[in-house]
Amino acid sequence: MRKGKGKFLDKIIVQCDPDLEDLIPGYLNNREKDIVAIRESLDSGDFEKVRTLGHSMKGSGGGYGFDEVTRMGSRIESAALAKDVEGVEEALQELEDYINRVEVVFS
Amino acid sequence: MTSDNSTTRQPRILVVDDDSDVLALLAKWLKDEKFDVVTVSSGKDALAQIGITRPDLVLTDLVMDEMDGMALLSEIHRQKPLLPVIMLSGQAKIPDAVKATHLGSSAFLTKPVEKDELIEQIRKHLHLSGDNSNGKIPFGEDIIYRSSVMAELIEQSRAVADSDITVFITGETGTGKEILAKAIHDASPRRDRPFIGVNCGAIPEQLLESELFGHEKGAFTGAMTQHDGLFKAADGGTLFLDEIGDMPLDLQVKLLRVLQDFQVRPVGSVRSVPINVRIISATHNNLEQAVKEGTFRADLYYRLKVVPLSIPALRERPEDIELLLDYYLERFSRKRGEPKKSFSPEALSHLISAPWPGNVRQLINVVDLCATMNKTDIIPLSMVQKALGEEEGDLRTLKDAKHSFERDYLISVLQLTKGQVASSARIAGRNRTEFYKLLNAHNIDPADFRKPPGN
Ligand SMILES: Nc1ncnc2c1ncn2[C@@H]1O[C@H](COP(=O)(O)OP(=O)(O)OP(=O)(O)O)[C@@H](O)[C@H]1O
Ligand SMILES: [Mg+2]
Repeated sequence: MRKGKGKFLDKIIVQCDPDLEDLIPGYLNNREKDIVAIRESLDSGDFEKVRTLGHSMKGSGGGYGFDEVTRMGSRIESAALAKDVEGVEEALQELEDYINRVEVVFS
Repeated sequence: MTSDNSTTRQPRILVVDDDSDVLALLAKWLKDEKFDVVTVSSGKDALAQIGITRPDLVLTDLVMDEMDGMALLSEIHRQKPLLPVIMLSGQAKIPDAVKATHLGSSAFLTKPVEKDELIEQIRKHLHLSGDNSNGKIPFGEDIIYRSSVMAELIEQSRAVADSDITVFITGETGTGKEILAKAIHDASPRRDRPFIGVNCGAIPEQLLESELFGHEKGAFTGAMTQHDGLFKAADGGTLFLDEIGDMPLDLQVKLLRVLQDFQVRPVGSVRSVPINVRIISATHNNLEQAVKEGTFRADLYYRLKVVPLSIPALRERPEDIELLLDYYLERFSRKRGEPKKSFSPEALSHLISAPWPGNVRQLINVVDLCATMNKTDIIPLSMVQKALGEEEGDLRTLKDAKHSFERDYLISVLQLTKGQVASSARIAGRNRTEFYKLLNAHNIDPADFRKPPGN
């Protein structure tokens, strides 16, 4: 049950390297897929899968200019390690919110 | 880099990561810097690409399914020991980083990685950066050669000096294994820290473990004081494990463990301590054979043999002989303050075609012997033949005389020091390894001199 990209939500402006303009939409799209995948893995109790997904996000976010993705990935990774369902869900919620609101400017 | 591609094309970088987003980002960064980029998403594909696209550098993720970055690194170095490999890891675990550098990784970076840092590291390891400070360090200035086999070996050695990569030197006795090891150390970033040599064959089995790893006070009979061990003594520097082929099997297991987690546990201690040493080992034995025969562990062999360097025997590089003779004649005359002697043409050609079973060490002895014995400036063929031991005669007795003098000398030094090998070696002006070799040659056991008087 995902929220749509609500117009009423405040936007979060992120500046990214213009050289990466072609890659960014695909990158954010993949994070939306991650969110779905993490939810599914959480449902099936596959914490290891959750952890790896979080770990990868942590490794890639900052490079694209999304330090928040790195931060959230790191939270998801450690929560998954502790099998802390609530912790994962909380971080996931924030990540989803972030992805929905983020607006990239290239400069 | 091979010479055929360094000038004609952009450096080619193979990027390995199972995360397609990271792969895309890295590829983009590198292409922007005008590198030629090849991307693959697994270690297996990476190995296939190395043969096909011949990259100049590999950038790989550490944690991947199936073959991880560490396994990829070992495999790459088995095939191409000089190919620079930069590792990227999701977490900065120091043991991983240490292990990676000993396996030959050029650098270890943590994700998310900064573009500038990555590019800088890549340029550095492709030797493209303006900072060529390492190129200026002279390498092995006391290693004399002219042959192309030696030139190639020295080039390889220089290339590996810069890192912590584990080096394995083979060569017949007297070919220069130890001076090569020292040259690598002296050209490495560890050059201001100790270079410690240990002859694994000369130290009695029971003592070797505590010599290497140290021991606690009272760990065994005779352990009166706590002892740090050679791994500790070489801290920050290089440990040269000479005659590694002679290491007893049960100690091989212990050494393997140390090389796996870079920690040592002193004998009698419950705690392991981290170590920071670069390992260079050497042997004149055929370890391949020893592994087959079961006297040397295969797993240890592979861990030591990350970069194998093989020094050719002197008879396989006769071009070097004249240069070496000249160098050591010069040294002899300088030491004695006498005019430099030379070999007659017949003597010289005889020397160049001699079999030299004792290699450069034998050559030095022959030069010294000829220069001492010959009263004129030109050393004739007959003297050379004597010195090479090809003729019976009074030289035999000289040899014997030298031998018994040496034996008496060793005994009196050991009596003086009460069997302390370190100080005896110092007095004799030899390093411990050489000193142990001498003792061995004369069948002298320093322990015999440690017994309290009256026994
Ligand atoms: N290329 C060289 N140029 C000048 N001197 C050399 C060269 N190679 C060896 N030597 C000298 O020859 C002697 C023997 O060398 P070294 O001790 O390094 O040999 P090694 O291979 O370790 O021998 P061993 O197997 O007996 O231990 C040393 O005095 C060394 O300085
Ligand atoms: Mg030696």
